[in-house]
Amino acid sequence: MATLKILIYLIVCPGLFFLFIYSTFCEWFDRKLYARFQNRMGPTHTGRWGLLQPIADFFKLMAKEDIVPDRADKGMFSALPPFGLAIVSTAMLLLPIWNYDLEKPSLTSFNGDIIVILYLLSLPTFIFFLAGWSSTNLFSTIGAARVLTMLFGYEVPLFLSVLSPAVLANSWRLAEIAAFYRQHPLLILVNLLSFVIALICVQAKLERTPFDIPHAETEIVGGTFTEYSGKKLALFRLMIDVEMVVAAGLLAAVFLGGFSGGLVIGLINFIIKTLLVIFFLSLIKATTSRIRVDQVVSFSWKYLAPLAVLQLLIVILVKGLIS
Amino acid sequence: MNFQIPIGPQHPALKEPIGLRVVVEGEIIRDADLRLGYNHRGIEKLAESKTWIQNIYLEERICGICSHSHTTCYVQGVEKLMEIQPPKRGLYIRTLVAELERIHSHLLWLGVAGHEAGFDSFFMYVWRDREIVMDILETISGNRVHYANNTIGGVRRDLDELQVKHILDSLEILRKRSEFYKNLGTKEPSFVARLAGVGYLSKEDAITLCAVGPTLRASGVPMDVRKDDPYAVYDEVPFEVCTADTCDVLGRTVVRIKEILESYNIIEFLLKNLPAGPIAVRAPRRPKPNEVISRYEAPRGELIYYIKSNGTEKPERIKVRAPTLGNYAATIKMLKKGFIADVPLIFAAIDPCIACAERAVAIVDARTGQEKVVPMNILRQSSQKKSANKERKREVEWPL
Amino acid sequence: MNDQILIEKAKESLKDKVLEITNPAPRRLFMKVAVGNLLEAVNWLKKEMGFSHLSTISGVDLGQSFEILYHFANNFCSFTLRTEISRENPLLPSICALIPGAILYERELQEMFGITVQNIPDPRPLLLPDNWPAGNYPLRKDWKYERPAEVIPGGKK
Repeated sequence: MATLKILIYLIVCPGLFFLFIYSTFCEWFDRKLYARFQNRMGPTHTGRWGLLQPIADFFKLMAKEDIVPDRADKGMFSALPPFGLAIVSTAMLLLPIWNYDLEKPSLTSFNGDIIVILYLLSLPTFIFFLAGWSSTNLFSTIGAARVLTMLFGYEVPLFLSVLSPAVLANSWRLAEIAAFYRQHPLLILVNLLSFVIALICVQAKLERTPFDIPHAETEIVGGTFTEYSGKKLALFRLMIDVEMVVAAGLLAAVFLGGFSGGLVIGLINFIIKTLLVIFFLSLIKATTSRIRVDQVVSFSWKYLAPLAVLQLLIVILVKGLIS
Repeated sequence: MNFQIPIGPQHPALKEPIGLRVVVEGEIIRDADLRLGYNHRGIEKLAESKTWIQNIYLEERICGICSHSHTTCYVQGVEKLMEIQPPKRGLYIRTLVAELERIHSHLLWLGVAGHEAGFDSFFMYVWRDREIVMDILETISGNRVHYANNTIGGVRRDLDELQVKHILDSLEILRKRSEFYKNLGTKEPSFVARLAGVGYLSKEDAITLCAVGPTLRASGVPMDVRKDDPYAVYDEVPFEVCTADTCDVLGRTVVRIKEILESYNIIEFLLKNLPAGPIAVRAPRRPKPNEVISRYEAPRGELIYYIKSNGTEKPERIKVRAPTLGNYAATIKMLKKGFIADVPLIFAAIDPCIACAERAVAIVDARTGQEKVVPMNILRQSSQKKSANKERKREVEWPL
Repeated sequence: MNDQILIEKAKESLKDKVLEITNPAPRRLFMKVAVGNLLEAVNWLKKEMGFSHLSTISGVDLGQSFEILYHFANNFCSFTLRTEISRENPLLPSICALIPGAILYERELQEMFGITVQNIPDPRPLLLPDNWPAGNYPLRKDWKYERPAEVIPGGKK
């Protein structure tokens, strides 16, 4: 019985199957919002309101011809997409949706799993870098260099801002942090600054405007993804969608109070809270323009990092006050 | 480590093929080079074998966005050769279409600048308003580009009351929205951070490298053919030459937005003072042997035509210098100090309308870095030879 | 400053180097000089008359000779400098030292007419492709183009 439960957890929900459906739904949500902000329609044709459009895109890409460039490192080039998808899917398992018991730590919810999720979310950046590097295309190399340059900018503020609520809640376990904020809802307001910083940094991690520099279409053709086509590109795009869901889930678990309520209510809770975070991400995407990579680094170190440190100080003060 | 990056001939940043080769070190550009000839159609040679009226059709197709500029410049020159003067109403309608074209071209450019900078929302909004201008042009001439409104001796289609009212109403909407873009384009922080300081061209450089159009005016030089050498009815219409003195892409944006607002005023003046009368006079078949220079302020800059006739019904020589060609020397200078991220912006800021050479393709050998430019037919032949012996793959059949 | 004053100043400064000067329409002046005096005339135009904007350089094939026109522009006049060179020995001095923006126009003259511009800083052809057969100058009057018969690949022969 336990193995059946684990299997359902891994494959159906919230495992691979649910992840596939839900991440394509989030991509549709993002695309529709982005289009409506720009006074256009967005996907409308496939399925009711265009809901099946991202799934259709995925299957179309799977059917296209897969071209590997002559001089590319074939092993790494081909292995990277499924590897990346595996990494972000694993990160999804650690979100506290079901299958966790607040009293006992389990395989997917243990002390320190917030650090593991953050680590697993940094790995896709290196996967993008390796993808661009092993393509041996001029544009891919520039895109790969840009990915790493951006990493210098946003990684530190992201870590600081996500860990501040953990400091306040006195635990490194996502489920406990969520439970803490459910008990003391007013303390969510203390973390408002770090919520904003985390939103900006997550936008940079997901490489969306204003930080979509590594795959800037008008400057370096495709950036890191220039040489990818067919099945590999389909897996990369799915990986980016899943990464968006995981990052939104992380932010919702840490800042918005987690997903309580058992089987059905918990899932609905999860959907609503992640869609709220994605709404904010789409808003940022639609209202800004791309900035240069040196401006990203200077912006992060001049504004984001000091503000994140400030937030940490505020948290420590409040913690001293309430205890 | 020095890298040579080819921007073009096929690149998402370029709307038309041009070979731009930049040598970079990291993200900074050290050197730039320009390779023209991807869009050459031999129009100057072709024009020598067509009659004067057929040439209007030919010159119009040099460019889609500034088609009216080419025909007006040509027709002005031929009218001087034939010593005829078109009637006032015809000149007013000609100027009206010219200003409408200027508005639609500048709105197009604003959208493209937004897209190159990554600001897609701006791009979508501005192009939505450009549709209003295209609708006006379609009501007047029946076509969204290539209006075919000019003929030697005047214009071909007249305006009536309903059309005038439609234009004036649309102008109200456009004016309100253009004020919004003026605020957005110059005050939105991430957009301005991309545009300010990019593509710097000092005043002396702009003059010595013979730049034209908004590129020149954004460096503070008030040269505008409509003021210096008035043609059509520009000596009767009150307007100002728009300049900016920041000498960078932000200045060029500001100059173009100001020109849009000026054009709204000019169109209102024209429509309110439209004289009655005929719209064209009859033109003779052959002009006397003579030569003439015709200049015009196209949306991209100064357009100059040198037309020489030898008394027959075909011209002896037509020399066209499109404004973008004049800006290339300045572009190379501007590229030399920038970042790669700025290349599409700098190049888009001169508003390129690349229309001057034969169809050819550059092949870069990835192993040796050598580059050859070969025409399309040879490329096609070599690719056919290569794939002739491969067996065809079965296409994937989907049940969908 | 109107056209009359310009004509008088030209005659005054360049005296008999000016072979002919006409004013067919308001704001249009055409002045003819010999090839040897070209650089001096351009220098005079730029330094003393303030014509630093070169619109373009046109080439016309007159049969026995080539006529090259330099179109200068200013806020109040469009001044064209005309010179003639022979067809057998088409040599022209480059004005790029005075007007750097003339480089593209001179490159086009070189490849379209077969004119050799001396001291040109960058002699590469501008518009024609790399495998263009040498000795073919498209804008000469005696260059005719025959369209090759259209072959539809894979179709009926």
